[in-house]
Amino acid sequence: MNAATRARLGSIRAVLLAGTVAILGAVLGVAAWMSFDAGQDEAQELFDARLATSARVLETFLARQIEHATVSAPIVIALPDPIEQAEYGEAGPLGHYYETKIAFQVWSADSRLLVRSSSAPTTAFAPLIAGFSDPRFEGAQWRVFSLRSGAVWIQVAERSDIRTELSEKIALAAAEPMLIGIPVVILLLALLIGYGLAPLANLAQQIETRHPDALTPVTLPRVPSEMTPVVNALNGLLGRLTHALERERRFTADAAHELRTPLAGLKVHAQNAARASTPAERQASLDRMLTALDRTIHLAEQMLAFSRAAAPAPARGHAAVSLRDLALEAIEAVQPERAARGLRVDLVCVPADAATEVSGDRQQLAVLVRNLIDNAVRHAPDGSAVEVALTTVDGGVTLSVSDAGDGIPAPLRERVFESYYRIPGTRGAGSGLGLAIVRESALAHGARVAIRDGHGGRGTCVEVAFPPR
Amino acid sequence: MRILLVEDDDLLAAGIRDTLERVRYAVDWVADGEQALAALRANAFDLVILDLGLPKLDGVDVLRRMRGAGGTVPVIVLSARDTATDRVLGLDAGADDYLIKPFDVDELLARVRAQQRRQRGAAVNLIEHGPLRLDPAGLSVTLAGRPVALQRREFMLLHKLLQCAGRVLSRGQLEDAVYGWDGGAESNSLDVQIHKLRRKLYPEVIRTVRGVGYIADPPAATPPPP
Repeated sequence: MNAATRARLGSIRAVLLAGTVAILGAVLGVAAWMSFDAGQDEAQELFDARLATSARVLETFLARQIEHATVSAPIVIALPDPIEQAEYGEAGPLGHYYETKIAFQVWSADSRLLVRSSSAPTTAFAPLIAGFSDPRFEGAQWRVFSLRSGAVWIQVAERSDIRTELSEKIALAAAEPMLIGIPVVILLLALLIGYGLAPLANLAQQIETRHPDALTPVTLPRVPSEMTPVVNALNGLLGRLTHALERERRFTADAAHELRTPLAGLKVHAQNAARASTPAERQASLDRMLTALDRTIHLAEQMLAFSRAAAPAPARGHAAVSLRDLALEAIEAVQPERAARGLRVDLVCVPADAATEVSGDRQQLAVLVRNLIDNAVRHAPDGSAVEVALTTVDGGVTLSVSDAGDGIPAPLRERVFESYYRIPGTRGAGSGLGLAIVRESALAHGARVAIRDGHGGRGTCVEVAFPPR
Repeated sequence: MRILLVEDDDLLAAGIRDTLERVRYAVDWVADGEQALAALRANAFDLVILDLGLPKLDGVDVLRRMRGAGGTVPVIVLSARDTATDRVLGLDAGADDYLIKPFDVDELLARVRAQQRRQRGAAVNLIEHGPLRLDPAGLSVTLAGRPVALQRREFMLLHKLLQCAGRVLSRGQLEDAVYGWDGGAESNSLDVQIHKLRRKLYPEVIRTVRGVGYIADPPAATPPPP
């Protein structure tokens, strides 16, 4: 769902209410119109039948007698005065005022008006053609039935508005309960929607009133099934945030702690150099300071590498990276130390032409490989050999680095992966982060890390098994 | 004055050692808790500077075991653990002072002097001994107001004797205070230092106790200087 759609949707409550009212209105409107239409149709047919019947009654009682009579002036059949003059009324002993809206005329074949009701005009309602017609007459719409009987025409007419009024009243009577019902339905709907959406409002309020540091899971007294995934997703996010924040805090605290000792050394050497009484003393302090500075820089770099390796970065590169190239680079980088200590570093690929590509972040994998080789070189006895092996197993590449050093006692093989853990008795340049960086980088690439004995049960072999690409 | 430095970071230890040796302390360095306890059992130190995050045995445990064994040597803790809880833990375990890394060298030295003062039951650094005055901070000695130029070892020896004025010190104790483990103590070099001191100051400043060692007699018992 894009932003525009979201913006247009607005409030769920408003959408549901407006939608329901629109649908309800449309359905009720159609229903009302249909009942009006049906009423009108029925009334029409009934009235038409009655109109025709009236014409036949006139024919029976009047037309035959008058057919041959000599009429000098039309005979007018009057209504009682109260009826004639009534504007409005109900049925009474004298009749109904609607009688003024019903009229008839009897015409001779030569178009002379013979008889008419008082409500009828002296001219013909409509052309003398048999059947029903709808002429306009004296500003009103009429329904006329013309009947030919021998030599006379009988026209019976009725004002159309009577019919309309009737069908309107029927339709209105049908629609009235609906009109009263709609506001009640809307009110009930509003309440129902409010009740249904209450957990959402509750959730919003909980999140809104939350302290930024409070990352405990959100709990709601009533979670409808539709909202369960939202609440679960939110709590999942809060959990991951807590974890990330905790890691961040620990990293900062550890870093501050771990930097104190090297910084103390730097300060002592600097003050010693400043207070030195001979140039030789000063030079000695400055040399120590430079060594301490190199170690501090290495520590800071390792800290950054660890922080990067441990960060749950979503946008990691996934290029094909050759572990063989990385191993060669790392071996090249330790060249001065190798030469100085008579060390040999061998790179072995099994099989010899093995594809050593894994997919991942080149920079991070380089840090991983370098840390493994640095570690091995640091712990290898002078004049010994370090072996870097790349083995292809089931499409996955396994990198193993072995040294002939003192080895890591089995009980410590898990602990050495903890950040800033140093094996007791090993002091000096190590940051305590090398293997922690290796593990975090390996995990980020889906690889498994294990420590085994080195060749012939001597020294250490660290193995990183990458999954097939 | 012989100080045991317990610190697992070799570079920092070297720096502290430089600092302390320049102001004429004998410094012995160990890098883990077990070695520290062994050193304390085997030798007499005037002061311990102790890191807490140590391999093999934590500094707090070193303190507890040392105090539990009746050790009374002053201890200054030098630690990266900076919370109030850590400081309370260290002081309660038997530390006399607590410094947080990184620290100022001058402050460390001032605190070392403060511990020595307390050992003597004095309120000032200056040690007065009859006509003699020794200033551990200024590394100077005066005799009746006149400065006396002393060699490094001579100063360390005099400082130890005056610090423990009135107590007989064995040859071994004096050699430790001047040389520490690094040796350099030829079989007769202590005699040479004492001879020089008597010559530069006055013969009665150090009395030989036959078969036992040497003593700087308390000022009241000292004969008036020439």
